[in-house]
Amino acid sequence: MKNFWKSGDPFIWVTGGALTFSLLMIGGLLFLIMAKGLGFFWSSDIAEVKLKDGSKLLGQITAREKIPQPGAPPGTPKRYRIQLQIGNRDIYGLDFRWVNEEEIAKIDYPRNAVLLERREWGNMYGFIKEIREGEVVVAQENEESWIALKDLLPRTQGIYKTIKRIGKKDIGAINYKIEGLRLDIRKLELQAGDQTSMQANIKSLEDQIEVQKKLYRNKESELASLYEKLAEDKIIVSTIDGREKEMSIGAIVRAYRPNDMSLLNKALLYISKVWEFVSGEPRESNTEGGIFPAIFGTVMMVLIMSIVVLPFGVLAALYLREYAKHGSLLRIVRICVNNLAGVPSIVFGIFGLGFFIYAIGGTIDNIFYSEALPTPTFGTGGIIWASLTLALLTVPVVIVATEEGLAAVPRAIREGSFALGATKFETIWRIVIPSAMPAILTGLILAIARATGEVAPLMITGVVKLAPELPIDGHFPFIHLERKFMHLGFHIYDVGFQSPNVEAAKPMVYATTLLLILIVVFLNLAAIIIRNRLRKRYATSAF
Amino acid sequence: MTALPKLKDNKRAAFDAFSLKRRRLVDKAARIVITLGGISIILSILAILVFITLEVYPLWEAAKAELAGRFELNKPLGISSPLANLASVPDFPILGVGVDEYRQIGFVITKDGLVDFISLKDGNTLKQVPLKKIEGKKITSSLGSLDNQKYTLGTDDGYILPVEINFKVSFNDNEEKVIEPELVEGEPIKVDALTLTHVAYKALDDDTKGIAAVTSDGRLVFLLEQTTRPLVEGEKKEVSKYDLTPELKGSIVTAIALDQFLDNLYVGTKRGELHHWDIRDKANPKLVEVIDATENPETAITALGFIIGDRSLIVGDETGNVSTWFQVEDKTSPIGRRLKKAHVLSSHNGLVTAVASSPRDRGLISADSKGGIILNYSTSERKLLELQGEGYPIKALAFAPKADGAVAVDERGTFYDWRIENPHPEINLKALFGKVWYEGYSKPEYVWQSTGGTDDFEPKFSLTPLAYGTFKGTFYALLFAIPLAILGAICVSQFMHPSLKNIIKPVIEIMAALPTVVLGFLAGLWMAPLIEKMVPAVFMMPLVLTIMTLVAVFLWRFLPKSVRGRFKDGTELLLLIPVFILGIQICLWLNQPVESLLLGGDFKAWLFDKLGLQYDQRNALIVGFAMGFAVIPIIFTISDDALSNVPKHLISGSLALGATRWQTAIKVVLPTASAGIFSAIMIGFGRVVGETMIVLMATGNTPIMDWSIFNGFRALSANIAVEIPEAPHGGTLYRVLFLAALLLFLVTFLVNTGAEIVRMRLRKKYAQL
Repeated sequence: MKNFWKSGDPFIWVTGGALTFSLLMIGGLLFLIMAKGLGFFWSSDIAEVKLKDGSKLLGQITAREKIPQPGAPPGTPKRYRIQLQIGNRDIYGLDFRWVNEEEIAKIDYPRNAVLLERREWGNMYGFIKEIREGEVVVAQENEESWIALKDLLPRTQGIYKTIKRIGKKDIGAINYKIEGLRLDIRKLELQAGDQTSMQANIKSLEDQIEVQKKLYRNKESELASLYEKLAEDKIIVSTIDGREKEMSIGAIVRAYRPNDMSLLNKALLYISKVWEFVSGEPRESNTEGGIFPAIFGTVMMVLIMSIVVLPFGVLAALYLREYAKHGSLLRIVRICVNNLAGVPSIVFGIFGLGFFIYAIGGTIDNIFYSEALPTPTFGTGGIIWASLTLALLTVPVVIVATEEGLAAVPRAIREGSFALGATKFETIWRIVIPSAMPAILTGLILAIARATGEVAPLMITGVVKLAPELPIDGHFPFIHLERKFMHLGFHIYDVGFQSPNVEAAKPMVYATTLLLILIVVFLNLAAIIIRNRLRKRYATSAF
Repeated sequence: MTALPKLKDNKRAAFDAFSLKRRRLVDKAARIVITLGGISIILSILAILVFITLEVYPLWEAAKAELAGRFELNKPLGISSPLANLASVPDFPILGVGVDEYRQIGFVITKDGLVDFISLKDGNTLKQVPLKKIEGKKITSSLGSLDNQKYTLGTDDGYILPVEINFKVSFNDNEEKVIEPELVEGEPIKVDALTLTHVAYKALDDDTKGIAAVTSDGRLVFLLEQTTRPLVEGEKKEVSKYDLTPELKGSIVTAIALDQFLDNLYVGTKRGELHHWDIRDKANPKLVEVIDATENPETAITALGFIIGDRSLIVGDETGNVSTWFQVEDKTSPIGRRLKKAHVLSSHNGLVTAVASSPRDRGLISADSKGGIILNYSTSERKLLELQGEGYPIKALAFAPKADGAVAVDERGTFYDWRIENPHPEINLKALFGKVWYEGYSKPEYVWQSTGGTDDFEPKFSLTPLAYGTFKGTFYALLFAIPLAILGAICVSQFMHPSLKNIIKPVIEIMAALPTVVLGFLAGLWMAPLIEKMVPAVFMMPLVLTIMTLVAVFLWRFLPKSVRGRFKDGTELLLLIPVFILGIQICLWLNQPVESLLLGGDFKAWLFDKLGLQYDQRNALIVGFAMGFAVIPIIFTISDDALSNVPKHLISGSLALGATRWQTAIKVVLPTASAGIFSAIMIGFGRVVGETMIVLMATGNTPIMDWSIFNGFRALSANIAVEIPEAPHGGTLYRVLFLAALLLFLVTFLVNTGAEIVRMRLRKKYAQL
C-alpha cells in the first residue's frame, strides 16, 4: 500500500481525472446540444394516450422523467411521467402536459392523426373532419379530406405568398417613398429662404404623396380581395376530446400525418424543416418558423466588422512590428493592446453606446438628418455601430495574430529582399505580408469567431428581438447601415429568457444554439488548422 | 540593384532614376502612413479609457451657481428708499418668496396682503395683486409648498388662506414664450380669534383638510375640517379643533410642520425639543414622543421642513446645525416607529432662518442669519454648494420648481436670484460604496435600486452589492475551474504522449471559443432545473469520482505488464472516461437514498431548517459551473504553456536522479512554472469578472449580499446590460453605469497587465535556465 502511494500513480491519475472530467463536460455539452438541436426537426409519431379515467390525449411525446418523491422511504418504486406536446394552444391554452405513467391505460398511434403547423397558435393535433370551399363541402371523411387538403394546400400557400410579397415588397416600397417625401417636406420647412418657391416645392411633394397614397389604397384593396380568397377554403378539425375547430386552410404552413409516413418521407420532411429553419422568417414572436433574419444580421455584421478590423489591425501591427522604435514604451503599448483583448465585452458595449451612438450618431443626426428629429436615425443602435463596437473589441486579436505572423517571417527572407535593392515598404508589401498572410487570416478568423458569439455589447448597440426590415433591401441606397438587426446569439438569449412561452420555445433555442456553435467551432477549427500549417511551413523554410 | 542600366541608353537611365525616386517617395509615404495610422489606431483604442472616464467625471463635479439677478425691493413695497437705508426694520414686510418654472418671474408676498410679481430680467414690478378675500387684514405667517406654487397664509385675526400662484405659459405670434402670472385664492378658514404666528396646512383630498397653527399667546391648535356628503342633503362641513398646548408643557413653539398624509405633526420649540404628534386617528391626536433634537441643550429649533415626499423632516437650529430625520421601525414605540436623526448636514455659521427642499430630489437649501445659504443633499450628506448673500439674515427662501435655481430675500429687502446647475447631487463616494441610510430603512444599508414606481422615489446607487455579486460569482467559478484546469494542465504537459496532447489541446481550445450566451442558456434553462433535483448528487460527485479514480489506479496496477505496456504514455488515463460515467451514474443513484436518509427526504426543506438558507433555482452554484466551464480552457492553455516550456534538462536531471514522474512534476516542474500558473489564474480571473451573458442568464439578478452558494446575485457586468437601455443619456444612472464599466475596465486591465508582466519575467527565467 505504501508503495502504491509512493509511486505517485494515484496522483497522476487524479490529474488525469481532472482532464477527463473537463473532456466529459465538453463532450456532454456538445452531445446535448446536438441531440436537442437536431431532434427539433424530427417529427415523432402522434400518440393517442388513453387515461385510466377514460379521457384521451393526443400529441407527441417529448420527454420522460422520474417523479420526485421527497420524503419517500428508500426502496419505494420509482414513478415516471411523460411530457406530451398536445398543441392546440388556442383551445387548451398550454402546449405541454405532464402525464403520470400510472394513469395511462393505453397508448395508440392512430394512422389518420394529423399534425397541422399553423401560422398562429402553434401546432394543432387532431383528425380532419371536413374540407369546404366557400360554403361547398368538398370532402367529408377523414381519408377523403386528407386528399382534398393536400390538393388545396399548395393553392392557398401560393395566395399567401402573393399576399406576403405585396405586403412586404410593394406596400413596403410605397411606404418607404411616402416617408422619404415626408422628410423632404420637413427639410424644406426647416430651411430658411424664399417662402413662395418653398411653398410650391412643398405642394408638389404633397401631390406626390397623394399619388403614392392612391397606389397604396389600390394595393390595399388588392390585398383585401386576396385575403378574402384565402379565407374561402376552410378545414374543420376535430380534437381528441371531440371539440371541433374551423379554420382557414390559409392559416396552415404544413400538414402531415407522421404515423402514416415512411422513414424516407420523414427524412424528407426533416430536410424541409431544416430548410425552413435556416431560410424562413420567424413566427409567433420568434418561437417558430425560421431564423433567416438572424443569420443574415449576424453575417452582415461580421462582414462589416471584418472590413473595418482587417486593415486597421494589420496597419497597427505593421507599425508595432516594423516601424516603431523598439524600447520600453513599445513594450508597454504592446502589453496594453494585448490586454485590451481581456477587457470585458460589456465595457466595449457601453463605450459603443456612449461614443458611437450618442456622440458620433447624434452629431450625424444633427447635421444630416435634422428633418427626422427627434426620431433618431444614426443616433440610436444600428448595425454599423454594433459592427464598429465589435471591431474595436476584436482589433487586438488581429493585431496580436498579425504581429506574431510578422515576427515569424525569417530574417533571411527580408535580408534577401533588401539585398536585391527593394525598399522597406516593397519588402513588407511584396515579401513580408504575403508570408504573414496565413497569420493575418488566422487573426481575422479568430476575430470573426469571437464576434459571432459575442452578445453583451450588441444588446446595447443595435440588436433587436425582431427587425422589421433587413439591413439590405431594394430601396436606395440598398445598404441601410443605420438599421437595427437580429443576431443569432441574441436570439438565443431573447427567445430563451424573454419569450412568453419558454417551454414551447426551447427546442427552437437548441436548434439556434447548434447552428451558432457549428459556425463558431468551424471558424475556430479553420483558424487552428491554418495556424498549424503555418507553423509547419516556417519550420521547414527556416533554413 | 535591379537590372543594370545600359549606359548608352540615356533615356532608360533617366527613367530608372525617376523610378528610383518614385520608389523612395512611396517608401517614405508608406512609412508616414503606417506610422501615423498605427499610432492613431493604438491611441484610439486606448482612448476608450479616456472616453469612459470623461463620461464618469461629471458625477464628481460640484454644483455650480451664478447670481443671475439682485434687486432692491423697495419699489414694489412702496417704499421710497431701499430698506437697507431704513434705520431698523422692526416689522419686516416680506413673508414669502417664489419663482416660476422658467425662472423669469419672481414674486414676494407682503404682510399687507399683496403679491408682487417681479420680472427677473430687470427687477421691475410686473403686477401687484391684492389678496381680496382677506382685504384689510395683516398677514402674519406663511408657508410655501415644495414647488412654491401654493402658499398658506395666516392672518392677524386668526384666519388662514390657501393661495395658489399659477404661471400660464402661452406663445405669441412670434413664437415667443409669454408667461402670465395668476393668483387663485382658496376659501379662508377661521382657526382662532388671535393672530396666527405659525401656520401649516395640508389637504389630504378635497374633503379632508388639516391645519396646525400657533397663536400669538403661544397656543398650539390643530384643526381638522372634514366635509361629508350625505345623499339627501348637501355638503356638511365638520370642523374639529384640538388644543395641543397643555402637552407642550410650557415650551414656546418656534416652528411647525405637518405632513401631506395628515399622519404626523412635528413641532419645534425654543428649548430645542421636537414634539411629534401622531394624528392618523383624526379624532384623537396623540403625542408620541418628545425628542431633544438639537446638539446642545436649550438651543431653539428655528426651522422645520420636509424633504420631497413629506417623510423626512428637516430640522434647523439656532446654532446653525441642519439635520434630517425620519421614522424608523422601533418596537418600543407605541406606534411602532420612532423618529431618528438620519443625516447630519453641514452646518451654518449663524442661526438657521429658513429651509426649502428641492422639488426634484432629496436636496435642500438652508439659509442663516449671516446671509449664507447652503445646498445639501440629504441622503448622501453631500454639501453641494455654498452661496453667500450680503451678510444680512435671509428672511425668505425658495427653490425654483425645476430645481435649477433659488431665490431669497434678506433683511434689507434685497432679492437674490441664483441659477444653479446641479446635475448629479446624489452621488458621492459614500453613496456609491458606503452604507447609506435611505428613507424608510431601519439602518444604513448597501442598496442598488435604480428605478421605482412613484414620483418621489429615490434612486439608490450603491455599487457595493454589485461588486459583491461580481466577486461572489468569480469566487465560485474559480473554485470550480482552478483545480480542474491546473490538474488537467499538469496531466497534459507532464504525463501525456504528444500525439494525444495534439488532439486534446485543440479540443479544449475550442471549448474556449464557445459563445458564453450558449453556456448561459444551458446553465439557466437546462442545468438549473436539473441540478435543483439533485443537489446532494452534485456535492457527492467530487468525492465519489476521486474514490473511483483511486480504485481504478489500484486495479490498474494488478493488470499484467504486457497489457499495461500496450498503452502509450497517458492514454491509459482515457480509461477513466467510462469510470467517470459510471461514477456520475452512481451519484445519481445515490441521490435519493442520501436525500431521504441524511437530509430528511427533502434537500431544500433541510437546507432551510438546518442552515436557514433559501434555495434559488438560478444560483451561484450554477453560475460557478457555467463560468468555470468558460474559463477552464483559458487557465488550462496558459498553465500548459508554462508547464510545457519548463526546460527539458531540468526534468531529465530530476528523473535521472531517481525521482518518480510525480515527484518531478510536483517538486521540479510545478515550482518552476508557478509564476506562469499564477498568471493563468489572474487571466482567468479577469475573464470571469467581466463575464456578462452567463451571469445575466443564470442568476436571478437580484442585488443581494449573501455568500450562500444557493442563491443568486447581480454582477456589475449584468447590471450594465440590464439597466443601460433604460438609462437616459447623461443622467445619473447612465454615468453610474459608466463608472461600473470603468471599474471593470480597470480591474481587468490591471490584473491582465500584472499577469502579462509575470509571464514575461517567466520567459526570461526559462531562457536563463
